[in-house]
Formats: sequence, C-alpha cells, structure tokens
Amino acid sequence: MTSLLKTPAAWPRPLLGKASAADPVDLDAAVKAGAFDGLKKAVRTLAPAGVVAEIRASGLRGRGGAGFPTADKWQVAAATPADRRYVVANGYGADPAVRTDALLMEMNPYGLIEGVAIAAWAIGSDSAIIAVRATETEAIRRLEAAIGAAEEAGFIGADVLGSGRELMVEVRPVQGAYMLGEETVLLKALEGKRGQPEQRPPHPAERGLFSRPTVVQNIQTLVLAAWILREGAAAFRAIGSPDAPGTILVQVRGTAGSGIAEVPLGTPLRVILELAGKNAAAPRALLVGGPSGGILPAELLDTPYSFAELRAIGAHVGSGSIVATGTNADVLELAELLTRFCAGEACGKTIPCRIGTRRLEEIATRINAGTPRPTDADLLVELSADIVASALCDHERLTTLPLSSVMRYFRPELDAKLQPVAEHTAGRQRIAVADGERRTEAPTA
Amino acid sequence: MTDLITRPAPPEQTLSERLLTTQAPQRPQSTPVIRVEVDGRLVEGREGQTILEVCRDNGIEIPTLCYEPKLPGFGACRMCVVEVEGEEHPPISCSREAETGMKVSTQSEPVRRLRATNLELIFSDHNAYCLPPCQNKCPSHIDIPGFLKQNAEGNWRESSRIFKRTIPFPSVLGRVCPAPCEEHCRRDEVDEAIAIRDSHRYAGDQVLKAMLNDGIDPPVPFEVQPKTGRRVAVIGSGPAGMSAAYYLLIAGHEVTVFERDGAPGGMLRYGIPQYRLPKVEVLEAEYESVTRLGGRIECNQALGRDFSLDDLQGQGFDAVLVAIGCYDTNKLGIPNEDADGVLDGLEYLQTATLGLPYPGHAGKRIVVIGGGFTSMDCTRTSVRQGAAEVTLVYRRDMKDMPASDEVHEAIEEGATAIFQAAPTRVLVGPDGKVSGVEFIRNKLGEPDASGRRRPEPAPGTEFSIECDRVLLAIGQGPDLSWFGPGSDGLTATKQRRLKADAVTFETGRPGVFGTGDVRIGAATVVAAIAEGRRSAYAVDAFVKGLDLSALKTRQTLAEPQPEFLSIVPFTSEVKEPRYRLKAMDAELRNHSYVEYEIPYTRAEAVAESTRCLQCTCEAIGFCDLRRLGIEYGTTLPTLEPGFHAGAGYRSVSENRFTGTNHDYIRDDSHAFILREPSRCIDCGRCAQVCSEVVGAACYDFMRIGFDTLVTTPLDMSLNDSPCVSCGRCAETCPTGALMPKPRVLQKYEVDESRCILCGICVDACPYDALRDGGDFELAHASRQEPTIDLMALAMVDRETEMTYIRRERDWLDRARADGRIVDPGRLLPMLPAGIVADLGTSPGNGSGHSNGHAHNK
Repeated sequence: MTSLLKTPAAWPRPLLGKASAADPVDLDAAVKAGAFDGLKKAVRTLAPAGVVAEIRASGLRGRGGAGFPTADKWQVAAATPADRRYVVANGYGADPAVRTDALLMEMNPYGLIEGVAIAAWAIGSDSAIIAVRATETEAIRRLEAAIGAAEEAGFIGADVLGSGRELMVEVRPVQGAYMLGEETVLLKALEGKRGQPEQRPPHPAERGLFSRPTVVQNIQTLVLAAWILREGAAAFRAIGSPDAPGTILVQVRGTAGSGIAEVPLGTPLRVILELAGKNAAAPRALLVGGPSGGILPAELLDTPYSFAELRAIGAHVGSGSIVATGTNADVLELAELLTRFCAGEACGKTIPCRIGTRRLEEIATRINAGTPRPTDADLLVELSADIVASALCDHERLTTLPLSSVMRYFRPELDAKLQPVAEHTAGRQRIAVADGERRTEAPTA
Repeated sequence: MTDLITRPAPPEQTLSERLLTTQAPQRPQSTPVIRVEVDGRLVEGREGQTILEVCRDNGIEIPTLCYEPKLPGFGACRMCVVEVEGEEHPPISCSREAETGMKVSTQSEPVRRLRATNLELIFSDHNAYCLPPCQNKCPSHIDIPGFLKQNAEGNWRESSRIFKRTIPFPSVLGRVCPAPCEEHCRRDEVDEAIAIRDSHRYAGDQVLKAMLNDGIDPPVPFEVQPKTGRRVAVIGSGPAGMSAAYYLLIAGHEVTVFERDGAPGGMLRYGIPQYRLPKVEVLEAEYESVTRLGGRIECNQALGRDFSLDDLQGQGFDAVLVAIGCYDTNKLGIPNEDADGVLDGLEYLQTATLGLPYPGHAGKRIVVIGGGFTSMDCTRTSVRQGAAEVTLVYRRDMKDMPASDEVHEAIEEGATAIFQAAPTRVLVGPDGKVSGVEFIRNKLGEPDASGRRRPEPAPGTEFSIECDRVLLAIGQGPDLSWFGPGSDGLTATKQRRLKADAVTFETGRPGVFGTGDVRIGAATVVAAIAEGRRSAYAVDAFVKGLDLSALKTRQTLAEPQPEFLSIVPFTSEVKEPRYRLKAMDAELRNHSYVEYEIPYTRAEAVAESTRCLQCTCEAIGFCDLRRLGIEYGTTLPTLEPGFHAGAGYRSVSENRFTGTNHDYIRDDSHAFILREPSRCIDCGRCAQVCSEVVGAACYDFMRIGFDTLVTTPLDMSLNDSPCVSCGRCAETCPTGALMPKPRVLQKYEVDESRCILCGICVDACPYDALRDGGDFELAHASRQEPTIDLMALAMVDRETEMTYIRRERDWLDRARADGRIVDPGRLLPMLPAGIVADLGTSPGNGSGHSNGHAHNK
C-alpha cells in the first residue's frame, strides 16, 4: 500500500475529502458529509445544459494527463445525435508504478459514482462503465458495494432521484497493458477487441464505445465534477492556478520517501517533492509524467505543476508520477529504460510506433553501450520528429519524450557518450561509406 | 433538457449498410457536394468522403499500404499522411473527412519525408527480398527462376518464350554471355551456382532445332500488335540493333535494319570466333526470329558511306535508331606502335572469323595485348591458325581480367598467359618489322572506380618478348566519323561516344536515337541487348507520339532496380553439384572451328535446372511496398562491389534504421494460400477483410511491441484456422506475405450431362464464378433461400460473403428504382460482370441469384 502524504492544512481536498471516513462504503455517513448533493442539484434544479454550463464555469480540465476541457467533451457528446450514449470512468491507471486512481476509488467511491451520474445526466446516458485494473480487488469490492447501496437508495439505477431516467453503473475489471491508458484503446478493450487505438477525429465524444457518443473521463475528473456541483464553480476556481483550477493526485517518489498527495495544480515541483521528505542534495534529474514522461534537470524544480507549464518544458502530467533520481543517476540509461518500456508496450498497429520506437530504443542502447553509429545523433532527432509528426495516438508521440528531454537538458552527457570507441571505428566506417553512397547515387535505369 | 438528449437516433446500422455509406462509390449522388483544394487544384467531392476518397475520385494518387477500399480507413501504415493548411500534425487522409475549404497538399516535402521514414522503418524489419540476385545482376534482368522452372519441367518452348521477354536470342547468349548472373547465384551458398547460361542455351537450341528441322516458328514472348504503319530504321545489325528491331516488330512497327557488312550480326559475326558461336546454325538461325516477324535487313549499307540520316528521314522513317557499335580499336600510345606487324585485333578477327586464314599467320610468334573477350578470341584463334607461339599479356591480375573464365581453356590449347605486365615499346628489327615487345612489370595499387586494383609500373622490372606479330585488343570506341553534313545535330560525349539519354535514348537530333555500344562504349553482348530492348520501348513511345518524359518513371519502375537480397541462409537443401558442359579435348579443338563445348543431354539440362532454388518473391510486380520503395528512393541501389566484402550481401533491411529484425517461418500448410510472415508489414488488411467482409476471422494482431505480428490465432497453421479458402486475404495483401499458391489445377471441368441443377455450387461460390442463367429451370422456381449447410461459412454467425453480395444486389435494385444513375466503373470490383454490364442500359435485368428464380421462360 502506498501511503498518503501529509499536505498543509490550508490545501483543499476536493478529491480525497477532509478526512478519510472510517468506512468509505457507508452510504449514510457519506450522504451526511454531502455525497450526492451535487447530483440532486443537477437533477432537480439544473437541466443537462445547466450542468455543462456549471462545469464550463469551473474551468475543469480532464485529469487523465492531456488536460482537455471537460465541458467541451460533454457538450459534444450531448449534441451528437445517437440512440445511446455512454459514460466511461477510466480508473485503469495504466502506469504500473502509480496507485493514485486505485486509492481514490478506495477512499471516495461515492464521489466517483456521483460524478459518473452527473456526467450521465449531462449527456443523456443511461449506461456507465467504471474501468478498474483487475488486480485492484479492494477498489473493485468497495465500488461494487457502493454502487449497490446507491442503487438501493435511488441515487442511480432504474429511476435516478425520481427523474424517470435510468442509469446503470457497472464496474468492469480490465486486464491489459499500458496502452489502455489511451482512451480509444480502453474503449476497444471494453468492446472485447484487441486494444488498439483509433484515429481521432472522430473523438470518442462523437463516436466512441460501440460507435456511440462516449464521455471517457479519468475518475479524478468525475469526482471533481461532483464536488463542483455541490460547492459551486466559483469555489473550484479559487483552487489551483487560473488556467487549470482544482487539485490533482500525484504520486511522489523521492530518495527521502514516497507517497500519494492531493495537490493544487500550479504547486511548484519542489514543494510537491518536499511533501515526501526533504533531500540534502538536489536530485540529478526529475522524471515527471510516468514512463513516457520528461526527464528534467534540478534547475527546473520551481516549475509549477500544471498541464501547460509542464508541456512547455517537455514533460507532462501523464500518470501523475513524479520521480526524483539520486544524485549520481545516469539520465541516458534512465531514458533507455523508459524508451524500452514504452516501445515494448506498443500495440503494434502503426509503423512509426511498432518499429520506430524500437529503433529509438536501439539507438539509446547503442549510445549507452559506447557503440554509437556516427549517424545516431542525427537519427535520434530525425526519427523522434517523424514519429511525433505521423503518430496515431499519444503513446507513440510521448514515447519520444524521455530521449528528447535528455537531448534538451542533458546534452553534455549525450555528447560524451556519442564519442567513438576505438574498436568500433572500422564497422562504423563501413556504414558511413554505405550511407554516403546511398545518398549520392541517383537511381539509374 | 429534452432538446439536448431526445434527438432522433439513427437506426441500427448493419455492417453492409455502414459499408454502403462509408465507401466512395456507394455514396448517393444526392449527397451535398464539397469543394476541396488539393495541390492547388480545386476538386469536388461529396460530404462524408475522406480526403483520400476525394483524391482518388479525382485521380490524385496518395500512397497507401493498409487502406482497403472495401472498409473504413484503418490508419496503421501512416503512408497516406497529407498536409492540411492550419493543422499542426499532418492528418492521415484515409480517416479524415474532407471539408469544404480545406487546403490539402499530398506531395509536400514534409509528408514525403514522413512516408520515406515509414518505408525505411518497414524495410528495416523486412526480412525478405524481391528479385533473386541472378535476375538483378543480369543487365537485361531475365526472369531466370521463371525459365529454369520451365526447363525443369522440360517445357523448352515456354522457357525460351520467358527468356525472349527480355532477350530475343537465348542460343546466342547461351554461348557468348559472360553470365554475370551465375556469380551471384544463391545456390552457391548450398553447393555450386546453377549453370544458368548453359541451361538457356539448351532450351534455345531445342527451339532452333524445331525451327530448322520441323519448320516450327520460334515462340514470340508477347502478342504481336496490329500494324501501326510507323516505320523505324535501325542502323547496325549487331545484338543491340537486332534486339531493338525484334521488340519494335512485336509492337507492330515496320522495321528495316541497315548493315554495313555483307552479312548481319555485327560483332556477333565478325568479332566472335566460329568455335564459340557457330555462324550458320546458331547466329543466322536465331536472327531468323527477327526476319520471321517481318523485319527487313539491308546489307552493305553503311551510315556515312551509302546513306546519311537525312536520307533515312527523307525516306519517311518515323524514327532512326543508331546501333553501330564500337569498331575503332584504342591505341596503346607507346613507341613504334604503327610498325609493320602490329595488327588491330578486331581487323584480324574479322578475317579470321570468316574461317579464312589470316595471311602469314601460321608459324609466327604472336603476342596478344589485352584482357577482354577480344584478346581471348585473338589468342585462341591464333592457336587455331597454327601460330608457333601465342603469348597473352594483361596489365592487371588474372582475377580482374574480364575474360578470366577462358584463360584456362586458352592455356590448355597451348597459349601462354602473362599477367601484371604493361607494354612500354614495340621493338623493331632492322627490316622495320616487329621483332618483339618490351614490357614492364606492374604492381597492384589501390582499387580504382571499377573496384579492381590499379596497376602501377614497378621500375626496373622491364623484360621483353620476341615475336613476329602483335595483336592489339585493348578495347574499342565507336567510329563517329560520319558526323557532319547530312547527319548533323548529333554530339559526342567526353569519352567520344554518341550522346544519347540513358532512358529515352534521344540524341540531339529529333527522331534519332542511339543505343548499344555506340552509346555506352564496348560492353558485353548481354548489355548491348538490354540497351536495344530498352531503346525499343523509347522508340515505340516516340513513334506513338507519347510523352517521353513520362517514360522515365515507367522505366524506372519496370526495371528491377533495387537490390533486395535475403540474409536468410539456406541450410536444409540437399547438395547436388553443378552439371558442367564438357569440352572437347584441347588437342582436337585447337585445330578446329567446331564448337568446342558439348551441349547437355536432355536429362542433364532438366537436372541442372531443377537445382534452382527459385529464390524469388512471388509478389514481384504487384507488391505495393516495392513500388513505393522505388518511388520514395528508400530501396537499395544496385550491387556495388564494395558492399559484399566481409558481411556478405547487403540486404533489404539495411538502411539507416538497421537493427534487429524478425525471421518468421513460412506457413505452407494451406492448400491454396501461402503465408510468408517475414514479408508481412503488419498493415492488418487481411485481418480486417477476413473478419469484416468474409466473417471468418483467421487473422489478428498478436503479441505487443516490436514483436507484434498479424497472424493466425496463437500462430496456428492457416489450415487449422476457420479459413474458408476464399482467398480474400491474399487478394488484399499489399506485399507477398499472403499469396495464392501456385496450383497445377487451373480449370474445373463441369460435366453438364450429370448436373441436376441443384444450385449448391451457385450458392456456395464466394466469387460468383457460377451463376444462374436466364433459362434457369422451372422446377426450382419455388425453392426458398438455400437451406444447405455451407459448412465453414455457416459456422460464422456474422455477415457472410453471400449475404453481403446479396445485399449489394438489393441495393443496386433500389438504386435503379430510384433512378439514380450509377457509373458502372465505380462499382465494387466484386460485383458480377453481368450486373456491371447491364447497368444503365437495360434496367431491371437482375441476373443475381436473389431474383434469378423469377426469370423463367
């Protein structure tokens, strides 16, 4: 079990609640604490359009990593003509080293169910799926118990709060790979097909599960949506940074300690890192965003943790993971390891992903082994750029991130490793000759 | 609240209905029109079409590998990326809907670079190759595995026909070709290279025998085209001119060949001795295949002497092809080179090949200088003419000698060969006649442009050889003295050759083309024939008034340029050494002009051809990957000597991304479909078509990451999968990973007297190869939908092929009833021919099964 880190008392906790309840599945206690107030407000006073307007006013962005405005997604799903619409709560948590989503489902199952019900109400869906990693048995148990209790109490089920509308919520344990973090892949898996991404557009909000409009949201987003309807958009806007308000769960792994914390967006990386304990020396590098995250130097510790700021420096929120390396870590070996993981998790659908990311990994391996080809430095840049440009899904785009962030921030280390090692010179020359001739020789008939 | 959620929902769409709305051809004509700017051109499409569909409908080509026109875009190959103005990442055109006002560029540099990168990535894991090395190395790219296969079955005529597709003279080449193909034969990895040359020699000889003995015309490789009325003059009846004439005649043009000497053949007749190429039985007999097609040969007509280009063009020839070869022997540039007794090797041969003794040759001591085929012919002819002593001197090492294969034969016949020595001066006796030649030893320096080590004189190593005659055979250049008035407008290259384009063969003078040795310098017979054939294409295009610049692309695609070699070693083949041609004893042959090699027996010829490993890709010619690889320049250039040192041949997977690659096992289990997963590019088309159209689902993506492969469930053999043998997967495969297996059975015979008209065959055939006729039996008029068990088809509870086709017909009937005009050319290719032909002319004449029962007489 990953421990919950202590955060300053002043930090609001819309996700995890003020204090963890003795039994999170106890419906009465939860209702007493305010659960389903937001749903009641949505059903009784706000029309679906009103719910979307309220979410829009709150500035809520999806917590799945990309930070897409939630209201836009709901608006599209609601406006697309269809006989059926779906809500999919993504609690899969693809990063195998991060447990934030499972922890949230264990601690706040009713918040999630309420958020799911609100999303379903807003888009006119009668069927919702909560996808959970099959190994998170405790989260599944609690969610199922909570769904049963909520149905019995009439919050969801055949007649949602007496509105005459139906909403069946199902917990779907999924087994699968890292790729399931990609929303179109998750939808494929829920359809019982091989998990491979689909070209967007059309986005799932227009054409998703079983070809119907589907709102796919990270579970944190849905819990926050419930909180917004209960407490109001203005209260939400007061938390975090102006362009991305609210809080987010992060999993910090430092040399002095590790754990999960709910932090307001815009909190500097340094502050988040220190939640897990203060280090005497600055880390060699920070890995922000999980296996496909960016490797950042210690100088960037004051960067605010938010979608836009992280993207600007070549990292991303991703799985919510922040890892601080030791002082002597070899960033290139770290990048190789991460690239290998991501390349190995590719679903194999597209060429740039199946072969291209593997070639990236091979280049990194050659560089680390001291046997780089003379073309490898350029190849790394060219191949990364081409993979990003012709990618089908974010997995292949982001797989280039560890290596490209090393190229950006740790150039001296890279250049040192690109120096030729004597005994390989002969082999390299042969290839250099071959490459040269390939370029100069014009095709003749 | 209701306004947001209670919109009219579209009805549940079945697959075929969805297909009808997602495919370009089926989109109803009432759909609103959109206008898109593609590559600066404003084109029209219909709402809901993808960019790719709009482009294809307007004849704009966007490359694809994974796109299957019958299905919605899949988006795996990333080849159809296009640039859309205002978008950061280029979208893929197969999945992106076109919108009015879009500005699309399909060929911009960035998207072409992305496609090239993709192709290189594919090739870096493509453990396969296109052409067998022999075919690739042959200057004329003969289909060697093809004719060897026919040889192995004893089909000499068909074998020669295949050969004649690229070279009209199998018997001539079977004697004089240096056989560069054999050097690269992959059978060598098992035991010894195939005797490719001797094999086509045997096949060609059988055709000649049939012609001479039984009067059977030799086979013609292509159907002879109807007369075009165009007239082409070919100057020179050597290998280049005659092969050009041959292919021009097949193309339907009228061809006249002008020959300077008294008999046709050029170098074949006057440069190659009788003992290597019998003039009457082989050369003249094989040249008959040209005259039998209607070619005229006018001898004793020399360009510049008897006529000029002006004359020919004035006589109404639409094109003139100059193929006069190389007859000017090069000079050594040493003292006393012009002394009495120093002869031009070619001039000597010209007399000698006619079988006439050269004056005063017998009993003389002869020195031959040079290392090519001419020098060898001079040497061996001199032996036959009774020279007392024949010494061959070559400046390089023996292995670098062009005619090194013949050296041991010449030595057997009594000649002496000296290597690495260059002449410094000719020694002259007091009588002014040659008394000897002084040479200097050469050491071998750095390799030069040809990959051979450059000879460098070693001072102080001079020596001399006493002799009476010196024959110079150090290469020839073309005689261009006829340039000038009447034949002006032509230019020479720096090497003093006729300047003509390498692809279009155009010279500086309109309507005049140059080919063969006169263009490329003295080369082998096979290279000259390849020149002749390719120039025939160009002349053909010219006289038909086609765009010659477009020829460039076509020829680049037509010529098997890329070097695609497998790196997979042969391990399990049974060793069986080469069947060698036996030569007559040296004692017998060095006084004789009779052909000295004893041909194969029939059994030997069959056995030798059977040794061929047939290491070719069956998909060559229709492989999209290869086509795109050539177009985007991501395939390898021709074999360069520098590349095979050390690491063996370069393979297709060698490019800037070279890394680990997969080597899968071929699945030979299925009776009709051959799976070669090493050639698979994981486009997923077979998986899509099999599950979405056929309904059998034999294939899917397996494993993850780099090891992903589109394969059968758990890699089981295809035979054990739910395959219905419809062949759709092989049809859709863009490479040679799934191929229809070559089968002996080519046609089924139907005994109509035994047919009970049950109709089961009609129902079950997935391709509508059998259909109900108009006079279908009355008794079956009341028969309902088929109740027979369609076996494997019925096991699949999804949309089957049958119902799919039927729905398509229903749709067609609806379209007709609505009065929508449908262009038959835009229909799915699978629609029965009868339906397609009927469209628009006689509405309502459904010949499909579903309403065929109602058509009773």
